[in-house]
Amino acid sequence: MMKRYLATSAIALCVAGAAHAEGQLNLYVWAESISPDLIAKFSQEHDVQVNVDGYTSNEDLLTKLQAGSSGYDLATPSQHFLRIMIDEGLIQNYGANTLTAYENIDPRWRNQWWDESQEYSIPIAYGTAGFVVNTELYNGPTDSLGHFFEPEGDLVGKIAMLSYPDEVVGAAQLYLGVPFCSEDPAEMKRVLDLLMAQKPAVAVYSSDNIASRLASGEVATHFWWDGEELKARVNGAPFALAMTKEGLVGWIDSMVIPVGAPNYDNAIKFIEFISEPENATEQMNFYAHSSPMTLVEENVVYTKEVAPELYPEVPVEFSRTCSPAAQDLVTRVWTQLLQ
Amino acid sequence: MSDSALHNPPLDRPHRPRPWHNLPFWGLLPTWVLMGFALLVPVVIVAAVSVATRGTHGGFTWDFNLASYRQILFNEGWTGEMEFTPQYLMIIARTFVLAGATTLICLIFAVPVAYFIARQTAGTKAVLIYLVTLPFWVSMILRVYAWMIILGRGGPLPRFLESFGLPPGTSFMFNDFATLTAMVYTYMPLMVLPVFASIEKLDVTLIEAAHDLYANRWTTVRKVILPLTAPGIVSGAILVFVPSLGAVLEPTLMGGGKQMMMGSLIQLQFGGGRNWPFGAAIAMTLMCFVVIFLIFTAHRAARKGDVA
Repeated sequence: MMKRYLATSAIALCVAGAAHAEGQLNLYVWAESISPDLIAKFSQEHDVQVNVDGYTSNEDLLTKLQAGSSGYDLATPSQHFLRIMIDEGLIQNYGANTLTAYENIDPRWRNQWWDESQEYSIPIAYGTAGFVVNTELYNGPTDSLGHFFEPEGDLVGKIAMLSYPDEVVGAAQLYLGVPFCSEDPAEMKRVLDLLMAQKPAVAVYSSDNIASRLASGEVATHFWWDGEELKARVNGAPFALAMTKEGLVGWIDSMVIPVGAPNYDNAIKFIEFISEPENATEQMNFYAHSSPMTLVEENVVYTKEVAPELYPEVPVEFSRTCSPAAQDLVTRVWTQLLQ
Repeated sequence: MSDSALHNPPLDRPHRPRPWHNLPFWGLLPTWVLMGFALLVPVVIVAAVSVATRGTHGGFTWDFNLASYRQILFNEGWTGEMEFTPQYLMIIARTFVLAGATTLICLIFAVPVAYFIARQTAGTKAVLIYLVTLPFWVSMILRVYAWMIILGRGGPLPRFLESFGLPPGTSFMFNDFATLTAMVYTYMPLMVLPVFASIEKLDVTLIEAAHDLYANRWTTVRKVILPLTAPGIVSGAILVFVPSLGAVLEPTLMGGGKQMMMGSLIQLQFGGGRNWPFGAAIAMTLMCFVVIFLIFTAHRAARKGDVA
């Protein structure tokens, strides 16, 4: 009886949601990045039907927004893509700095180069990317990117890179001391030479299915993100993120509203909702990446003791928005590497 | 399109049926609309983008520019001057070799399978054909993941071979063998079905006649069975070869993505490369090759048809 009642009301909710166009919110965010509990809570509190689509690279998001009329109300690009979206007029100035959410941003993340006036975006998560090792298969040193790019011993033939250049070329640049977004072909040729020399030791260039590939022992090290490694590790996987002295590649994702968003008001409501300290804490506990918001400290699960990988003591270098010339060099390196 | 003129005779010729009485026109209209919107319009858009000028961060502007086509052959070298770059041609060639190998292996397996099925009783035949199409009921990406488990470290195949002395921890993943296995597996039904259809229609008495005329088995296959089933083999080959050219999933997941294929090259240009016109130009080049291949096979099939 109870079941039937629930089913009926679920159908009624769906119908109600579909019937009122103003009661919708279309999220296009990093795959599995937003807590489903929070989405359900928001949905209930504001009587809004939330549709979530996921992407797995900034490039996917940018291409979709450039193609026009995506129908999405909210997206979460990383800093270097956020800058492009502002410059290309793909996202709206929603007066982010006038929202309550702005007051909740940790001051060190406000008004950065990717959105100086903080009118276009409210940050939601930040973190790093580096190489993660399976400690059952490799117990050698992990203090330098050199162990990843110029491997010896156990790691040879057991290395996994990502399938696109964005983060891994950045890491190679950190290792060689080549600045991000270099427009100097000679410097980028060094990056190519490094990656070419590494290639015989690489098993796979892939960004999918990373956790199971690394856990099964198919590879012994994978380029990956801190929060994903952390989530797998606290669930018992023998993983460790290498704290490399050359630094880690940093990123920060922010909530933006694409031009032409059909449910602008609900997007604002959602940004305010998820930026409240209580909800921001729950979001961080779900996503396992650091939060740039004011949190309810006693409820934070991933403290420095539990999750040292979220509090790196090595330098963190944030990816930058490259000029077309620099971006072409990156693409050329990648094409020649995999030609 | 000129076809509407064909089906819309001028009104000053009253002896011709009026347009709204023209049944063939209205009957075929859905086909033309579908062909126009699903086939012609997208191709025209891709062709137009391929001669547009790239935008700063992806996208494009409508300024005529052939730079994308030049880029397939000539690029700025690391020292700064324009030079001939064979890298894209190598990717194109590799894609063709992979698609050709897939087609050939599918053919070698599919002909005996189709022949066997065609010779069964009607009931068994239906069940076997159903089994051939069964994999299509499952999402393609799931089937590729299944192969990753079968061939991967600790999977059924390595475990089985380890019991015969293969060193433990062996993996058959991330090489051309893995890519080809998944490709052949994925496209096999597309080869079996048309070949089956033409073998089923084959008149058994012709084979008997060949034997009566002292043809041995091999001659019978060569002179009777193959020419008569050629249409099925050709359409099967087209159905396998053409989609194989655009394969992205198998080379990336099974092959380890260590060597680019045309599909992943196009994807890179629209994504990280932020060069849509170049991506479109490669897509157009791929399409030209496909058209050339189709004309070539159609031509050969027609010639074979004359001989038969």
